[in-house]
Amino acid sequence: MVLLIALLILALSFMAQLAFGAVMLNPLQVLRDGLREIFTATTGIARYRLERALAGVVVGASLALSGYLIQTTTRNPLGDPYLLGISSGALFAVVLTFALPASAITLFVVRPFAALIGGIIAYLLTLLIASKAGMTPTSIVLSGVAVGTFFYSASLFPQYFILRDIHKVFAWSMGSLVVVNLNKPIAIALVLTACTIYSCVSRNVLNALSISDDFVRDLGRDPSRERVILTAMAAVLASFCVAYFGVIGFVGLASPHFARRLLGSGDARYIIPLSLVFGASMLSLTDVVAKIVFYPIEVPVNVIVSLVGAPTLAAIMVGMRRHARG
Amino acid sequence: MLGVENLSVAYGKVNVIKGVSFELRPSLVALIGPNGSGKTTLLKAIAGMVPYSGEVLIDGINLRRIRVDRRTEYVTYVPPTISALPDMTIGDLLLSDSSADVALLERYVRIFGVERLLFRRIWEVSSGELERALLARGLARRSKVLLVDEPLSYTDVRYQLVVMRCLRRLANEGRVVVVASNQLNPLLNYVDRVLALKDGKLFINAPLKTGVDEDKLSELYGVKMKVITIDNIVDVVPVEEARG
Repeated sequence: MVLLIALLILALSFMAQLAFGAVMLNPLQVLRDGLREIFTATTGIARYRLERALAGVVVGASLALSGYLIQTTTRNPLGDPYLLGISSGALFAVVLTFALPASAITLFVVRPFAALIGGIIAYLLTLLIASKAGMTPTSIVLSGVAVGTFFYSASLFPQYFILRDIHKVFAWSMGSLVVVNLNKPIAIALVLTACTIYSCVSRNVLNALSISDDFVRDLGRDPSRERVILTAMAAVLASFCVAYFGVIGFVGLASPHFARRLLGSGDARYIIPLSLVFGASMLSLTDVVAKIVFYPIEVPVNVIVSLVGAPTLAAIMVGMRRHARG
Repeated sequence: MLGVENLSVAYGKVNVIKGVSFELRPSLVALIGPNGSGKTTLLKAIAGMVPYSGEVLIDGINLRRIRVDRRTEYVTYVPPTISALPDMTIGDLLLSDSSADVALLERYVRIFGVERLLFRRIWEVSSGELERALLARGLARRSKVLLVDEPLSYTDVRYQLVVMRCLRRLANEGRVVVVASNQLNPLLNYVDRVLALKDGKLFINAPLKTGVDEDKLSELYGVKMKVITIDNIVDVVPVEEARG
């Protein structure tokens, strides 16, 4: 039931994504034209909107799944996709690319690739430190914070010395769904599909991980090994999102919480699909807001998602608590 | 039958279990010993949850030869507590076990009075209630060997008796049930045998009658212990040395 309502909200926000922009259009018309433009390989406003809407859905869902996996494996309700130092690693790599001559290749090929590699290297470093410290939830969180802080500070040096580009770095780190082509959402969608399938297959392990390592051993699995696999998936998902769309916060943190609060359960079977849908809706809806709030100027979606999302999460937490007390 | 041969466990350079051997028939066994003597580690090793040297045999089959995904048919370890992600409910906890017999689970949920807690979050229930839920989960498997860690520490007196009666029945049905606890009453009033660990070594391994020995227990805990019997109920109490 909750899932149905959530899907409805997602459909509505998807339509709103298609409808709103510099000009208001009929969403169904945009959908039809957009699909036609994609298949006939022509470019127009409909295609642009459709691609951006799709990007919102896959990125939102990916961040939500990534956040869920991090929260579960670290057993930390504050877990989000960037807890493992991924965003800082990507930021550092991106800052380095500003030393290259500004060309289309640098902008569209080298920079995303650098961000992806930077994010994954940061994750591997986190993993290396955590594994030396026993691969416990606490060791992962602490080494993630250490690696993240290190890369963030390291990225400040080049920023300080190449001052003329600082606004570009700043804009990149804000995260936004603009500058889209269809390859990006498709690449993320493929990774997302694979990770979702694996997560659903491992739902028993995920449930056990969110309760106690002893329960994972009960299933005959090694909790450290499962943590490596699941955090690796979270890291790859988040790195792809960061590489293509910059750092978009809050969706990964909040979506699993929304799902758990509304369901009154933490069972992976229900939380995974619901988090995906919530993440997708949240990012789509806030992107609509980002497009129209200071019309005709677009604000990076990252700014809006936290501004709108944080009070909503707070309201839900307070509301559920009151509800639980009766 | 549970056979343990020269079992040792080390965490890094610290030897926690130092070459323990014993053999247990289907029965209810108390595992006692001071804090840090290695009770939990011994149970986890027998359940295959921590790396060990030596051998564990269940019905003659070496634990190392049992496929990990079938291990719960042979042995179950019931932890005393957990550190779950908030928002998981008691219901999630109980259903997270795919090897549980659902009908049996429902029965234990009733016996341990957990049914009204199913939709409560884990951090909203008391330690005793959580302990009962963990017991219901563990007992709902049909493992040949049941290792129960500290089931009496948080439960109230009524449920202490409920728990011990349940474990007694399982032992009578042919299971090996080992209960680690220092709540000597009611523990000692239900068990057939007493195992005691001291500094990672087996200190007592005896049937109840000879196992409950004042001198041995005093040496085990490092305080003077006195065995008292009232209406056939045994208790072992520490006796403060006379002051002055």
